[in-house]
Amino acid sequence: MLKQYPTLRYILQRGGWYFITFVVAVAINFYLPRLGSNNPVKIIMGNTSQGLSSEAVKEKEEKYLKEFGLVKVKNGNIVRNEDGSPVKASILEQFISYVGMCFKGDLGTSFQKYPKKVLDVIKEAVPWTIALQLPTILFGWIVGNVLGALAAYKRGIFDKVFFPISLLLSSLPFFVFGMLLVYQFAVVWDCFPAMGGYAGDLIPTFSWAFFSSAAYHYVLPFFSIFLIAAGGQAIGMRSMGIYELGTDYIKYAKWLGLKETRIIAYLFRNAMLPQLTGLALSLGTMIGGALITEMIFSYPGLGMAMLTAIQNNDYPMIQGCTLLITVCVLIANFTVDILIGFLDPRVKAGLQIGKGK
Amino acid sequence: MNRNFKFKGLIAGALLCGLIGCGGGEKKESDAGSPFPRSKTLYLAGSQWGDPTTFNPMADVWASTWPVGKGAFNLVYEPLLSFNALDGKFEPCLGSLVSKSGDEIVIDINPEATWSDGQRVSAADVKFIFEIGRRFKDAPTAINAEYFTEIKVEKVQNNGVETERLTFVVEKKVRNNPLIILDHITQTRIVPSHIWEKALADNGNDLSAVQKIPVDGSAVVSGPYKTEAATNEKVVLKRRDDYWGNKALFGGKKPVPEFIIHPIFKSNDAFSIALQKGELDGSQTFIPRIWMKQKDGVKTWFDQAPYFLAGAVPIFVMNTTKAPTNDKNFRRAMAAAINYNDVKELAVSGYSPDIQPGLIMAGIGIEGKYFNADDAKQFGVSYDPERAKKILADAGYKSVYKADGTLDYMTDKKGTKLPTLFIKSPAGWSDWEAIVTIAVKGLRAAGIDAREGFVDASLYWPARGSGDFDILLTKPDNAVLPSTPWSRFFNVMTSSTWRPIGQNMNENYGRYNNPKSKEFNPMVEKLLKEIPTLSDPAKLSEAYRALNKIFMIEQPAIPLAYLPEQFYEFSETRWTGWPTAADPYAPPLLPWVGASTKILWQLQLAK
Repeated sequence: MLKQYPTLRYILQRGGWYFITFVVAVAINFYLPRLGSNNPVKIIMGNTSQGLSSEAVKEKEEKYLKEFGLVKVKNGNIVRNEDGSPVKASILEQFISYVGMCFKGDLGTSFQKYPKKVLDVIKEAVPWTIALQLPTILFGWIVGNVLGALAAYKRGIFDKVFFPISLLLSSLPFFVFGMLLVYQFAVVWDCFPAMGGYAGDLIPTFSWAFFSSAAYHYVLPFFSIFLIAAGGQAIGMRSMGIYELGTDYIKYAKWLGLKETRIIAYLFRNAMLPQLTGLALSLGTMIGGALITEMIFSYPGLGMAMLTAIQNNDYPMIQGCTLLITVCVLIANFTVDILIGFLDPRVKAGLQIGKGK
Repeated sequence: MNRNFKFKGLIAGALLCGLIGCGGGEKKESDAGSPFPRSKTLYLAGSQWGDPTTFNPMADVWASTWPVGKGAFNLVYEPLLSFNALDGKFEPCLGSLVSKSGDEIVIDINPEATWSDGQRVSAADVKFIFEIGRRFKDAPTAINAEYFTEIKVEKVQNNGVETERLTFVVEKKVRNNPLIILDHITQTRIVPSHIWEKALADNGNDLSAVQKIPVDGSAVVSGPYKTEAATNEKVVLKRRDDYWGNKALFGGKKPVPEFIIHPIFKSNDAFSIALQKGELDGSQTFIPRIWMKQKDGVKTWFDQAPYFLAGAVPIFVMNTTKAPTNDKNFRRAMAAAINYNDVKELAVSGYSPDIQPGLIMAGIGIEGKYFNADDAKQFGVSYDPERAKKILADAGYKSVYKADGTLDYMTDKKGTKLPTLFIKSPAGWSDWEAIVTIAVKGLRAAGIDAREGFVDASLYWPARGSGDFDILLTKPDNAVLPSTPWSRFFNVMTSSTWRPIGQNMNENYGRYNNPKSKEFNPMVEKLLKEIPTLSDPAKLSEAYRALNKIFMIEQPAIPLAYLPEQFYEFSETRWTGWPTAADPYAPPLLPWVGASTKILWQLQLAK
């Protein structure tokens, strides 16, 4: 079947694998947070039970256990053991009800941000995360790769200056670089805001005041990620370029007397393949947020929401975030897989051979 | 921002942008077009950390958002009385105190108090929230009702004005604790019963459903402000110009700031930077070395050490159900081994006066008068490494050292090897971690095998209540209440709420004084029961002295420093008129807590 359509077959095959990966990932994301002995209701009660009688504490605890679906419920009442303690819902039962809810588009209620819905938390945070991450990753990738390829090809003085700078940038931890930026530009020179996604005296609206303020607040967080990302990409591209320069096909091309621009184009295309996979991965994981940047700049985004969720065993929130990340990583990878199928002659050749069989 | 800075900003921006040749962004302040002009807005922070969730006053405290949940915030909903920790007086709010005794507490509802919909604040509103525990055991204020048998309501004439008089009759059999009733009266904020009773009826009397009703700025409130807007980055309150208290309590004046904005920051540094830049007017977070920030206008209650007014005591609680911390000699040796001066200077940036033995803060506030220096000298243990070693040696403990001279382990008098003791504390709380590290150093120097046990906060809370620790760092009181310091003693020493290790206990985490054991000291419970009912100052003083003596001798916990109730920091860049030690017209708390709310009427714009 589909033998006469190798490309379609390739896509379907890949898609099948990705679907299996998706199911396994969701199951693991669901299971892992529940491995610990710490139950989220206990964490909430530890914070809230001060001054309550033990009877009231028990009642409250059961209310939350029921509300969060962690105990078995029959006709609206908690199912109890012989000693009166509630029967815990097994992980499988929780999983089934979770999957059922997911199909209805309901990711549940956050425990920690109760009574907020997980979907609302994500909706509020994701635009900020994407606005911060997508341009930094894309620009960083493009600028880094172009500079890296240039350095590999030109060598000489350009490379001698450029390489150590990239090395320095890429090995600087985000938080150090971010704090240096804040110190210099926000505290010493006081020319950029130190924190926030927009001015403290505004409420997000579709107005010029808001967007200009957001743009102004965007500068430091943007550069704190961009420069480091570009540095890392440039180094990768440079070494890939140098490697490719020494390969037979380049030598052959030179020997054939091809034009230099043509050779650079070949070089770039081949050296770019691993970089492309890297890009896909970072685009996929970007949704998880730039936690460190968010913390340093008190910038809105999903990273902090996820951190507090994990710290507090906020299962629905963790699940919601990891589901989103899983989907994004898989989509990004899938796209790259398909793209590579068209771009990489070796994969293409593989398909051609497949056709012959 | 002056022109010079702007110019530098443009250069810096151009440099940054030039690096990649793309436009960076607009560089200008948005002051002009702001809906909240700086000259009308007060910026305060530190009470709300996560995303705003709900402003529903019926919701559980942990789940609701500032200024509705988490503390005695008087801005939107108000209590009957406010407690002023500086002079121990009860200041009028929705009500005023007529009399208090061991049997009853009498309060008149302020006849001028009205809700924002024009209805009068009535006894029915007070009864609704105070007695809700009789209908719903899991309501946030359910515990209130256990302390009184009834709230009697009568109509009296005050200077010709008909006034509702409430009498809280103290429940004598079980709780018998008028102090806690006073705590509740100052902490419980009254909600309009005509709104919430109806909400309950509409939802089939289901409290959980009512707790989920979304509430916004149109809610019926009694306080001087209402919620205007909330995003994940800030909560905005707007002044209510028709607030009843302006006329009744403040001589016709309005609170000065029209808006109060509570920015929500994600890290501690943000508070410090914002204060220094004048973007934040007040905060309540731990900022190390605050004296270095004075040049940027960041000020505190005292302008020199200890900078803050003490109000709470962090302590080490020891698990008294297992060896060796079940031995009071061992616990006393520990107390002698810790260098409290290092704790003060290095861990808490000097924000503590010198501490004295015992659980009473010597020389501090209203409780200072209960401290007895002779007792402290005779029964208490201070830092004295030699004494620590002597106590240990006398009790038969031996330290075993490795060949390189470092401590290996410790044995008791039978020669049994003792386990390493871990001091449990939440990871990442930098000042607490420093306290533990300094204590470990002192304990090991005295030959006690103790180590840091930093755990995730999510593991710390459940472990605290269930007694799953060797030694635990905790702070038994978070606010100075009418019941302080009794509440501190109760939190540390009571075994009246006894639960074995493994089950949750909200007091006495170390399970001191097991009522079923041979060593049970009934005197502790007797004094704890007695103090709240005493009104004769001499008897009260005597009782506290006796209780503190038992604490010092048995040492169930080790006080480590006197920290402030709140790290009250403010900046005079935009607003002046904050209370300080030199002008103590309100307690050192941000102007939304209890008796400090009146700061809002005293602020002036800086020139």
